[in-house]
Amino acid sequence: MRVTRIDEERRLALCAARDGATSTVEVELVAPVALGDSLLVHAGVALVHLTHEEVAA
Amino acid sequence: MKFVDEFRDAELGRAVAGEILASVEPGRHYKVMEVCGGHTHSIYKYGVDDLLPANVELVHGPGCPVCVIPMGRVDDGIAVAREPGVIFTCFGDMMRVPGSEGSLLEAKARGADIRMVYSPLDALRIAKANPERQVVFFAIGFETTAPSTALTLKRAKAEGVANFSVMCSHVTIVPPLRALLDSPDLRLDGFIGPGHVCTVVGARPFDFIPADYDRPVVIAGFEPLDILQAIQMILRQLDDDRCEVENQYKRVVPHEGNQRALEVMAEVFELRPHFEWRGLGFISHSGLKLSDAYADWDAELRFSVPGVRVADPKACQCGEVLKGVIKPWECKVFGTACTPERPIGTCMVSSEGACAAYYNFGRFAREREVV
Repeated sequence: MRVTRIDEERRLALCAARDGATSTVEVELVAPVALGDSLLVHAGVALVHLTHEEVAA
Repeated sequence: MKFVDEFRDAELGRAVAGEILASVEPGRHYKVMEVCGGHTHSIYKYGVDDLLPANVELVHGPGCPVCVIPMGRVDDGIAVAREPGVIFTCFGDMMRVPGSEGSLLEAKARGADIRMVYSPLDALRIAKANPERQVVFFAIGFETTAPSTALTLKRAKAEGVANFSVMCSHVTIVPPLRALLDSPDLRLDGFIGPGHVCTVVGARPFDFIPADYDRPVVIAGFEPLDILQAIQMILRQLDDDRCEVENQYKRVVPHEGNQRALEVMAEVFELRPHFEWRGLGFISHSGLKLSDAYADWDAELRFSVPGVRVADPKACQCGEVLKGVIKPWECKVFGTACTPERPIGTCMVSSEGACAAYYNFGRFAREREVV
């Protein structure tokens, strides 16, 4: 899912799936995140930051 | 889409399948277990099975979170859901798992306030919106889902949400794999490792498989090419007489997993001495419960939970399917008395269950074969 809005204080982000559906995601486990980042999300929690260097390479 | 489309390329898939065909030893039978129910689903959805040589057999493992929940645990959930003033929340596929007197969905139809949620955070929101009610989340799943429950509990504690609690049925993947490897029923040549569990736990917990049992493991993604490539890597290890944990899913799975997730889980959960698995029986240190620091949010301490062990229906062979001893279609009730619309066994309930995957995508091919 792609990050579209960030609430840093509450460690939450609004994320959009590829079909456009949006949901609130807990990003504490992958913080910090930036607008446009891709995250692997499971059960409302981001588990992997897909835009980190290892993945982007 | 990056990371997805290129792993669904049919031409590349056929090329890898051709390389697999050329590499197998004629006369040797290869048995490879895909541990995760997500892999089982993809294998049937994309027809990966049909691309493999006849002597490469895929065996479906115990990694479907819903499938391994025993009937007694469903009955426990229904008992809590029937308590006055309770809003009981769970994932959608859990609602259809049969207990001894029906499913959570049927209990809802009979008047219990049972609601489907997409994440435990949704359940916490319901609790905050209904302070006069007790809101319980039925937590199931492997290490992929457990961090979500753990973070929700941390949030509940930090925000002082006292009317929220969790009925914890989380399980861990290594103990059942060890039980399967110790079982005389099954001879396996290698494992397709559970990609999404490994995003949390990393690759290291699977080192015992090559070290203690001399079997290769390849952690894999969930697209058809991921699975084909993982099978090819396993066969290569066997051909080279190598035995190690390899990571095919490097674009997503870091070798060390997610350390923050592991720390949160260690704070919120502790291992149960035993936990009952459907079809596999009681396995030591395979289930999670809330730690003492979170005892105030433990639904099993807050409510009266019967905790009665219930035997599976005689006709149901989910246990043998989960152990990979029989194929879904070899079960006596597959596709007749047991269907996704009216499941008898758990493997027919979830889209990750081997029986449901085979029923939805694979049975027609099998029927053609029989004809």
